Amino acid sequence: MIPKLTDDAISRLPLEAGRAELLEEIMSTVAPDRHHDDLAEPGPVRGHRRTRWLVPLAVAAAVAGVASAPLWWGGPGQDRAPEVSYQSAPDSPGTGYRAVLTAPGWTVAAVEEDSKYGGEVDYEKGDQQLQITWYPDKTYQDYLLDRSYIEDPDHPTDGVPVQVLGLAGHRWAYTADDHTVMREPDQGHWMEIRGTGMDLDAYTALLGRLRLVSLPELESSLPGRFVSKAERPEAVQKILDGIEGATDATVPAGTTLDTRSEESDPYQLGADIAGQYACAWIAEYADAQAAGDQGRADEAARVMGTSRQWPVLRQMNPDGDYPEVVWDYADDLADGQVPDGYEDGLGCTSGTPSG
Amino acid sequence: MALSLDEREREFRALYAAHFDAVLGFALRRVDRPEDAGDVTADTFLVAWRRLTHAPHGPELRPWLYGVARRVLANHRRGERRRTALGQKLGERLRRELSARVPDTSDDVVQRADVTAAMRRLSARDQEVLELHLWEGLESREIAEVLGLTTAVVRPRLSRARSRLRELLGDESCNVLAPPGHHLSDRPTELTRKER
Repeated sequence: MIPKLTDDAISRLPLEAGRAELLEEIMSTVAPDRHHDDLAEPGPVRGHRRTRWLVPLAVAAAVAGVASAPLWWGGPGQDRAPEVSYQSAPDSPGTGYRAVLTAPGWTVAAVEEDSKYGGEVDYEKGDQQLQITWYPDKTYQDYLLDRSYIEDPDHPTDGVPVQVLGLAGHRWAYTADDHTVMREPDQGHWMEIRGTGMDLDAYTALLGRLRLVSLPELESSLPGRFVSKAERPEAVQKILDGIEGATDATVPAGTTLDTRSEESDPYQLGADIAGQYACAWIAEYADAQAAGDQGRADEAARVMGTSRQWPVLRQMNPDGDYPEVVWDYADDLADGQVPDGYEDGLGCTSGTPSG
Repeated sequence: MALSLDEREREFRALYAAHFDAVLGFALRRVDRPEDAGDVTADTFLVAWRRLTHAPHGPELRPWLYGVARRVLANHRRGERRRTALGQKLGERLRRELSARVPDTSDDVVQRADVTAAMRRLSARDQEVLELHLWEGLESREIAEVLGLTTAVVRPRLSRARSRLRELLGDESCNVLAPPGHHLSDRPTELTRKER
């Protein structure tokens, strides 16, 4: 067996000639700018809204790049009768551009809603997952292009024509137990439903258990741990009360905390609110340090120094790494350093709390 | 965005220089024969060259390349090799060099052999997220980029896979389940945003 070498070890292998020759060989091939050739390989299945929070600039660039590519086939599936029709959930298909799963035994793993980027609800049952995602309809053609390469990286396919929740769609298989359907736009949004860890029959059965819903209906379908829009102000206040109870401080003088959030998932909501609070105090530290005001800097470091006691971060800690980031930044302040890139790390906007 | 030939070549040379070891490492850690890693590397960079105008910049580029390499590897396992428009196979010299120069044993590895053996007892899905985490040092969001999934899906999957591996390793687990830390030193802090 080949040892699992580190990249450092690989960099020391004597491969200079082969490495250099390959580079020249590749660049001697036609460098296609025609879109046909640019499509010779699928882009990663990407563009999920969650990444907007992670690397907004890079995503914007990537989306712009995709959007500029001309589309070279017209309306796949439009002139064909659907091969498969999925009946909607037992009683009626419902209304709205979001959907929920009504099959028994499935639980909500995550949910996300954003007025600009769309939303998602993820269900799981053992090792099986069903992901329902809705996007603004302006992104439909770009995603259709991307998905057309799922089954064959060299030859785009229209997918199997299907009907889901009363509308036409296209189905592709990543693998025998991983399928996705793109449902055509309706009410300003289109929907993608991806099922992993199940064969086509099981996936098909689940598509028949979907129901269209409004946002309030979606929220009311979520387990109690998720926070509805109506519950959010109280939940935000509770998070802040917990933090301020640990810090014995509100926000730096002259700062207003923007506590707007659209998150239902308690982890994401916690990240929004705790992140904004942390942003404000790290910015305060940076300002104080720049101004040579040691007293203000000490107070900011003290406040952040309590972050391991912030209840919301302690509750979030088993589920993800966001609290660790806040705590690392607090340690930086304790060491007299403004953490490099903290605005991006926490989601601050221009060094002020994000909204 | 259209690039002039000079710009394209300059950009690709920089990309190749910055990511060659990582892409080759990704491939070499997943194939049975060193020369196969040469094929995967050649095909991955051929795709990157062809799709250069669509390749992301900055910290997203490495996961994007891993995603391409993953698909190339899958094709390779099905016996397919990408060819140029002229049917040319690239990277013959690299194949030969890898065949001759990759050592049979090394201490400079991303994880111990017993951990690799334990990972093989997990499901293919668990193995894949763990490999990306432990071998490439990727976090949930980056793994999601590579696999074309959402972070919300990957994070619990990674967590469960780590737990299962921990159970298999018992007391030995504490020192081996952290990413090696020698990859992606340029990983920006924003990747931690809401990562779960």
